[in-house]
Amino acid sequence: MSGSSVLTIAKLCASVAGKSILKGVDLEVRAGEVHAIMGPNGSGKSTLAQVLAGREDYQVTGGSVEFDGADLLALRPEERARAGFFLGFQYPVEIPGVNNAYLLKAALNAKRKAAGLQEVDAYEFLALIKTKMQFMQMDESFLTRGVNEGFSGGEKKRNEILQMLVLEPRLSVLDETDSGLDIDALKVVANGVNSVRGADRAIVLITHYQRLLDYITPDRVHVFAGGRIQKSGDRSLALEVEERGYDWLREDRVA
Amino acid sequence: MSALPGTAAATSAALRSFEAAWRARPADPLAAMRAQSMHRFLALGLPTARDESWRYTNLRTIAARSFVDAPRIGAGAAAPATAAQSWLAGPGMAVIRIVNGYPEIGDAADRPDAPFAVRSLGSILAHDPGFLAARMAPVEDLDEGRWALLNRALFVDGLYLRITGRVAAPMLIVHAANSTGENFAIHSRLIVEAAPGAEATIIEHHLGPAAHPVLANQATQIDLEAGAAIEHFRVFSGDDRTAHFDALDLRQAANSRCRQFTIVLGGALVRADLRVRLGATGATHESYALLVGHDARHVDCVNTIVHAASRTHSTQTARAIGAGTSRVVFNSKVIVDRGTVGAQSRQSCRSLLLSPTAEVDTRPQLEIHADDVQCAHGATTGRLDPDMLFYLLSRGIERPAAQSLLIYAFLDDVLTGISSAPARRAIEDALIAQLPDADLLRTFR
Repeated sequence: MSGSSVLTIAKLCASVAGKSILKGVDLEVRAGEVHAIMGPNGSGKSTLAQVLAGREDYQVTGGSVEFDGADLLALRPEERARAGFFLGFQYPVEIPGVNNAYLLKAALNAKRKAAGLQEVDAYEFLALIKTKMQFMQMDESFLTRGVNEGFSGGEKKRNEILQMLVLEPRLSVLDETDSGLDIDALKVVANGVNSVRGADRAIVLITHYQRLLDYITPDRVHVFAGGRIQKSGDRSLALEVEERGYDWLREDRVA
Repeated sequence: MSALPGTAAATSAALRSFEAAWRARPADPLAAMRAQSMHRFLALGLPTARDESWRYTNLRTIAARSFVDAPRIGAGAAAPATAAQSWLAGPGMAVIRIVNGYPEIGDAADRPDAPFAVRSLGSILAHDPGFLAARMAPVEDLDEGRWALLNRALFVDGLYLRITGRVAAPMLIVHAANSTGENFAIHSRLIVEAAPGAEATIIEHHLGPAAHPVLANQATQIDLEAGAAIEHFRVFSGDDRTAHFDALDLRQAANSRCRQFTIVLGGALVRADLRVRLGATGATHESYALLVGHDARHVDCVNTIVHAASRTHSTQTARAIGAGTSRVVFNSKVIVDRGTVGAQSRQSCRSLLLSPTAEVDTRPQLEIHADDVQCAHGATTGRLDPDMLFYLLSRGIERPAAQSLLIYAFLDDVLTGISSAPARRAIEDALIAQLPDADLLRTFR
C-alpha cells in the first residue's frame, strides 16, 4: 500500500475535565489502508475517536491532526463530516422524533453540497437507500422509525454501518462497532466495512477483541495503552494480543 | 346606580372600565345572572400573584389599562387589514369568522341536511333567552374562573354550535380582532354540544389584532353527550399585541371521547384554562399542549381533569419550549373523585429551555380520593441533549438545523397526535417558521 496520507496524527494530547487522557498519539493512515487499534478498557481508544470527530467535551492540549493535508482540529464537527470524516459511534444515540431516512438524506445532501454536487432527490435517495439496506439485511421499516429509537444493540451498529455506506466517507473511524454483536450480525457488519474498502478510502477500527479481525483483515494493528500507541505491527500482533492479553505490553513498556 | 353591596370599590383602571361597560349595557334577559357574576368578579378583583393559580402570571400592566368594548364591525365593512385569513383553512371546511366577538355565520348557517346547526348567541339572546340561560354552565368559584365570571357578565354575542352527526371536514372558527381603537376588550362565548354519537373536529384559531392591542376574554363550553367524539383545537397565533384569557370547560358523558389540543404560537400573554369533567363511565379524554415561548411571550396553561365516574380515562401530553425571555407555565391537576373505580390517568409533561433568560415552570399534581386507580405522571425540564446534538453534527448537519431538528423532535409526541393531516401540516408550518433554519426543516416530513 502506498496511497497518499489520509490521516496524520502527531504527538496528540487531550484531556477531559482537566484529566489527561491522550498522551502523545502518533499515527499515520494512508489511502487504501485498514488499521485496527486494540487496547484494554480505559486506555483512551474511544477518546481518540471522539477527539477526531470534534467532541467539545475534550480539550486538545497538544499535537496535531492532519486530514488530507488539512488541519482537522480547526474544523467544526459538521465540517469534518462534510469533508469526509465519519465516526461510527460506540453508543449510537437514540433521537426519537427525528426520522432515520430524513437524517440519512440530510447528511448525504450536506456532504454533496459541500463537495459542489447536486443534492439527491427523494426518488434517487430511496433507490440508493433500499439497495444499501438490503446489503445490511435491514428491514425497510427502519426508514420510518426515529433515529436508533428502540433499536437493539445490533440494529444500532448496523445502522451506523448503513450510514457509512450511504455517505462513502474518505476516512471512517469505527469505535467498537463489533461490541455487543452476535456472530451473524458481526458478519453483516464486517461485510459492510469490507464493501467500502477501496484505494481512495481509509478505515480505522477500534476494537477490544481480535474477533472482528477474523472478518476484516487489517493492514496495520496498533496496541493502545496508557493514552498512546504502545506497539504497532501487522495482523499477527492482533493474534498475539488475543493469545497473551494486554499485560505483556505493559511489561514491555516497563522493560 | 347605587354602590354594589358588599364590594370594595373597584381598585384598578381595568376593573373600573369593566364595571362601567357592564353599567352601560342595556338590560337583557340574562341581567340577573350577569349582575351576580359582575358583583362576584368585582368583589374578587383581578387575580394577583396571591391567587394560587395565578402565581406565575402578573396582571399589573393589564390592571392599569382602561378597556372599552370592541365594537361590532358592520356587515359589508372592509375586512381587517391584516391577519384576517386563517392559515388553518382547508378544502371542505365550514368556516365561521368571529370578529370582535360577533360571529359572521354566512354560508355555515343551518342547512337541513347538515350534520350540525349554528346560531349566534346574540340572536338566541334576542329570541330565545331561556334556551341560552339553560345552557350557561355554572362558574365554579375558583381562581381559574375569574375571567369566565367577567365573561358571563359582559358577553354580548358568540356562537352556539350543535353537532348532530358526523362532520367529515374540520370546522374552523376564526377569532379575529378588528382593533380600530385603543384597548379593546372582547368577551366572546362559544357553546358547543355534541349529540349522542356525533363526531367532529373543531378548530378555533385566534388571530392577532389588525392595529391596536386587544384583550380577548373567551369562554368556551363543550358538552359531549353519550358516545360523542370530538377533536378540539385552540390555536393562538396572534402577534405580541394580544392578551388572551381563554377558559375552556369540557363536560363528557358516558363513552364520549375527546381529544383537545392547546397550541400557543403567538400572543403577548396567553392564559389558557382547561377544565374537564369526566362525568360518566367510559368517558375518555386526551389533552395535548404545545406551548412555544418566544421573545417575551408569557404562556400560562392550567389543566384540571376531574374523574367523577368509574372507568374514565385521561391522558395529558404537554411540551413546552422557553426561548428568548419568555415564561411558560404548565400546571395540570388530576382529581379522582371518591367512590369511583378504575379511573386511569397519565400525565407527561416535558419542557425544553433554549435560552438562559427564559423560564419554564411545570407542576403536575394528583388528588386522589379513591383506591382503585391507575395514575402516573412525569415532568422533565432540560436543555437540548448534547449527545443528540453531537450525533447530528457528526453527520454533517449544520448546528442551527440540528438544533431545530431536535426542537421539532421534542414536539413530535404532540404533533403526531393531530389526526387531521391538513391541520397538522398547517400547524407544523407555523411552528417551523418560529424555529431557526426553517428552510431545512420544511423538507423534514
